[in-house]
Amino acid sequence: MAVNTDQVIYLRYIDLDRCMGCGTCEAVCEFIHDGKPLIKIYETTIGVKVPLSCMHCSKAPCIEVCPTGAMKRDKSGAVYVDNMKCIGCMACLYACPFGIPELNTSARVSMKCDLCKDLREKGLDPACYVMCPANAIVYGEAGKVVESIRYRKAERLVKARLEGMVTLP
Amino acid sequence: MKFTFMCKQQATVPGRSKLKVAIIGGGPAGLSGAGFLVCQGYDVYVYEKNPLAGGLMLFAIPSERIPPENVLEGIEELRDKYNVNFITKTKIYGNSKPREDEGDHLVEKIVSLKDIVDNHDAVLITTGTWQSRRLNCPGEKGPGVLTALGFLYELRIYEKGFTKHKPKLGDRVIVIGGGLSAVDAAFESLKAGAKEVILAYRRTIKEAPAGAHEIRKLINKGVKWMELISPKEIIRENGRVKAVVFQRMRLGEPDETGRRRPIPIPGSEVVLEADTVIEAIGEIPTPPFEDGYLGLKLDKKNRIVVDEQYHTTHPKIFAAGDVVSGPSMIGPAIRSGLLAAKSVHLYLNAKKLV
Repeated sequence: MAVNTDQVIYLRYIDLDRCMGCGTCEAVCEFIHDGKPLIKIYETTIGVKVPLSCMHCSKAPCIEVCPTGAMKRDKSGAVYVDNMKCIGCMACLYACPFGIPELNTSARVSMKCDLCKDLREKGLDPACYVMCPANAIVYGEAGKVVESIRYRKAERLVKARLEGMVTLP
Repeated sequence: MKFTFMCKQQATVPGRSKLKVAIIGGGPAGLSGAGFLVCQGYDVYVYEKNPLAGGLMLFAIPSERIPPENVLEGIEELRDKYNVNFITKTKIYGNSKPREDEGDHLVEKIVSLKDIVDNHDAVLITTGTWQSRRLNCPGEKGPGVLTALGFLYELRIYEKGFTKHKPKLGDRVIVIGGGLSAVDAAFESLKAGAKEVILAYRRTIKEAPAGAHEIRKLINKGVKWMELISPKEIIRENGRVKAVVFQRMRLGEPDETGRRRPIPIPGSEVVLEADTVIEAIGEIPTPPFEDGYLGLKLDKKNRIVVDEQYHTTHPKIFAAGDVVSGPSMIGPAIRSGLLAAKSVHLYLNAKKLV
C-alpha cells in the first residue's frame, strides 16, 4: 500500500541511552490491552534491558507479505492488524526483522502494537510515550522526532568529548 | 508523565463525583491509581508525606535517570486539570504513635488511618518501602554510616530547596550492595566529589540486581568495584568511621532466588579504609499500620496481604505497589496501582447496585 506523501507521518523512537528498563511502557500497555503488552522489556546477557515493539516501518515487510491484506497502515503511518481480514497465518512474523507480530490465541489473529489506535482516535497519544518516566520514548511527527533525537545526540557528543578532558568548564 | 493517559477529561457519571477515594502515598503506584480513578469520575484525594507527590521518582532517583519536570508536570496536570486533591506533608498511620520511617523529615501532620477510612468510600494504600534494611554489624551505629535511601532522600530535598542541610560525605566512601539503590548512591557520591568510591557486593557482577551494564558504566566513571566481599564490622576511631572489615565470599549452590548463594571463606578478611559507609542492601515495606490494625494483615516481610484483586482483608481498603510486592521497579508498581484502582472502581460500582 502506497503512502500519500502529503500525509503527516508519526514516528515513535525508543532512546536506549535514556531507557532504564523500568517496565512502565510494558505495564501501561498491558493494562490497556487486558493483560497483553505490545511493548515488552527483554533483558540481554550483559544486563541491558531493551523495550521491543513494532517499528512501524515505512516499507513494512509484514504489509507486503500479508496474503489477505489484513496488515494495514493508518493515516498517521501506524501499521495495524485488521482483525476481520486476518487469518492468523503469521506470515507477518516470518517477514518481520524484529520478531514483533504474535498470535492472539483466543481471537486467532496476529496481534501487534498499533500505537494506541483507540487512544489516538480520542485525541490522546500512545500510552507508553506519555507515561515513560525517563522520557526515553519520543513520539510525534517524523521530522520533529528526528530533530529532537539529534539534539539529544549533540548533547551526548559534547558530554563525551568534555568528559575526556581534565577540567570541565 | 500523563497519569490520565486513558482519558481526555474526567468522566461525568451521575453520582460518581460524590464518591471519595483516598490514596495513601503519591508514588508511581498511587499516582497511576489516581489517574485511572479520576478518569472514571471519582473524587480522588492523594495523601502524601512529602511536600510533593512523586515518591522515589522525585525523592530518591537521580535526575539523570528521571527528569523531575517529567514527573512534576504529571502531578500538576492531575491537580489542575483533573481535580485530584493533594494533601501533602501528611503522614497516615493506624496507631496513635506512628512508626518512624526514612524520608519523614518534612511531615507536619499525622492523621489516623481510621479517620481516612471513615471519611472516604474506598482507600488505596500505596506507601512503598521507606525503610532500609540494615547490616546490624558492630560499629554500625553512629555518624558516618548512612543508608542509600536516607542519603539519596537528603540530597533530593536539599536540591529542591526543602532543607539547607546538605548531606556530607568523607573523601572515601564505601557503598555496600549490588542493586539500583547502591548504583545510584555510588553515582551521587562521585558527583558530590568523593575522592574514592568503592562499591562492595557479596556476590559477583553477574548476580548484581542492578545488572552488569549499570555497574560497568559506574566503573567507567571511576567507581572501584569489589565483589565477593561481605561486611563484618565497621571500625571507628574516636567515634569516626575509619575502615570496614570485609569477609571474602565464594559462590555456592543457587538459593530460592535462583542466584548462587554467597558463602563465607573462613579466615579471609579484607580491611578497606573509609570515611563514610552507605548501606544499600534493600528496603522494607512501610504500611501505614501495624499488623492486625482494623483487621489488616502483614506478612513476614512486612508486606500488606492482598488477594488477586489487590483487596485487603478490610472491605474498604485496597493496596498496591511496593508495599505489597516489596522493592520493585516503577513499571510493576504502576501495573499494580492501575489494577488495584480498577478493583476499587469495580467495588464501588457493585456497592452502588446493592
